[in-house]
Amino acid sequence: MAKSNAKDPLSGGRRDFMKKLGLGVGAVGFGAAAYASGFKNLDKLMESPIAERNLPFWVKEVDEPTVEIDWENMEIFHGPENTLFNPASWENPNDYKEIYDRNIASTKKNVQDNVPGLSLKDRALADANCWGWGGRSGADLAPPWTGSDVKANAQWEHPTMFYTPEDYGVPKHEATPEENSKMLRTAGRIMGAADMGFVKLDERTKKLLWGKITFEDVEKGYAEPEKNKYVLPNKDLWAVCSLVPQSLWMQQYSERMSWASSNTMSYSRANIYGNRLSVFLRGLGYQAYGGDTESVGRLVGFGVMAGLGEYGRAGILVSPKYGTDIRTVMVTITDLPLAVTKPIDAGITKFCETCKKCGEMCPSGAISMEDKPFWGGGAAYQAKGIRGWYMDAKKCYTYMLGGEPDCSRCQTVCPFTKFDDAVIHDLIKLSIGSAPALNSAIRNMDDIFGYGKEPDLNETPWDLDPMDIPLYGLDKSRS
Amino acid sequence: MKLISWNWFWYVLVGFLMGGGAVMIWHILKNFKLKPVWFEWILLILCFITFMFMSQTFIASFQEYEPQAAWLSLVFMGIPILLMAVVVFRSLNKRYLKNKGIV
Repeated sequence: MAKSNAKDPLSGGRRDFMKKLGLGVGAVGFGAAAYASGFKNLDKLMESPIAERNLPFWVKEVDEPTVEIDWENMEIFHGPENTLFNPASWENPNDYKEIYDRNIASTKKNVQDNVPGLSLKDRALADANCWGWGGRSGADLAPPWTGSDVKANAQWEHPTMFYTPEDYGVPKHEATPEENSKMLRTAGRIMGAADMGFVKLDERTKKLLWGKITFEDVEKGYAEPEKNKYVLPNKDLWAVCSLVPQSLWMQQYSERMSWASSNTMSYSRANIYGNRLSVFLRGLGYQAYGGDTESVGRLVGFGVMAGLGEYGRAGILVSPKYGTDIRTVMVTITDLPLAVTKPIDAGITKFCETCKKCGEMCPSGAISMEDKPFWGGGAAYQAKGIRGWYMDAKKCYTYMLGGEPDCSRCQTVCPFTKFDDAVIHDLIKLSIGSAPALNSAIRNMDDIFGYGKEPDLNETPWDLDPMDIPLYGLDKSRS
Repeated sequence: MKLISWNWFWYVLVGFLMGGGAVMIWHILKNFKLKPVWFEWILLILCFITFMFMSQTFIASFQEYEPQAAWLSLVFMGIPILLMAVVVFRSLNKRYLKNKGIV
């Protein structure tokens, strides 16, 4: 049968095979399409509709823990001194001193011997990441962002509880500028920077520092906040510019609580990161100035010069990867020699000329709608010397803080502000960077595809399954 | 249940659909003794690439909470796929009928 049928494509065996194959494939496709049409999120198929604690299918809840407990004879600990790693609970607390001394000696020896994983830079990174952990940080976290009780440049003076090369009896870290840049990028990613760029301070870029910062022939910079005096040493200095993104996922529920949460959490992370970076640089034996979000200079300016993004219509930095959904550029001044990064051209500023989506969507009308960038400025917050677009900050703030819902529409609607799941976004950005003639069409398609629409406020983060929420609110696809 | 990511499921499904489609086309060509010419091969390959791209955009747009973009990607990429498939089918069918002496 098989032999004879093989010559006839319409005979039983193969016809049956094709029929079954076609039916199978069709059924699977139909099922997927039917399912998908009824759900906003494909993952919902596998989820309980009830927003309870969703455990993996192999985990079951039980009435008693799997470790046996005798509650009748359970001893109550007096406090943390009873806990496992507290020497006060040991039979002979002096044992701890011996162990501690041994640890100090071995740590020093490992650093002196440059043991991989236990070298000076490894210790510096460990110390840096300790920042914020009670007792190890030399300064408390800045107060919550309230707009009233944050002292300007409060973090110019840095945490001091860390070890320096002198403590280990080794010279400061020495490497080529390229190696230092690579090392900082690695440490930066671990500590909380999405991207980093490096700017050499010269006669041009010093103009991006705050005017109150001066240079003196001193070995180390110093600050006298009561006199509003901040001094940097006259030597080769570099600005380490670190990009701190915010949660696009939370921004999507913008104009309400989520915007404020995403915003404030990102500033908090930025300050924690900035202090960690300072500790890291000092742990390597170098100087670091600027530890909070606005202690050094103009963030967008440094971001542009460092190649973290381009200057956009809304007067804010537009990153090729994160769009305008970035909270700040953390700028830290150091004397660690670094290989500078150049400004970039991804066609972003050119795209802003035709796009104007942020300006159209801005509910306060604060964003300039001029076609071309222009030499402007004039208000105290609008620096002259930039051919760009200028935001009317008063209009923006009047809307944001004047009893209306908080707003970050200009950031959320920017066509560059996208998740990274769909490959098509990279192709669109490739087109923007190489074929600006298509910019107008791309802007129209961005609207047609529904990007940057007004948020559906009937669904807020509170309505979601908690396990749907990215850890720390950070976006799963934009790390 | 987000402790397991189910993204893989949709990509496996696309893999099965594409694999099934490729097997089906291979069977049809073999059984009808058809040999595509160069432009038919190009269009078939383009069909597969576009289908793969469309599927990725469709699935990923849902992951991005952009359902409108997901469905429109089916329209904007699905129509070219259908057009290319129709061109290949008509071309193959015309040659098949000609070989059979029907036209």
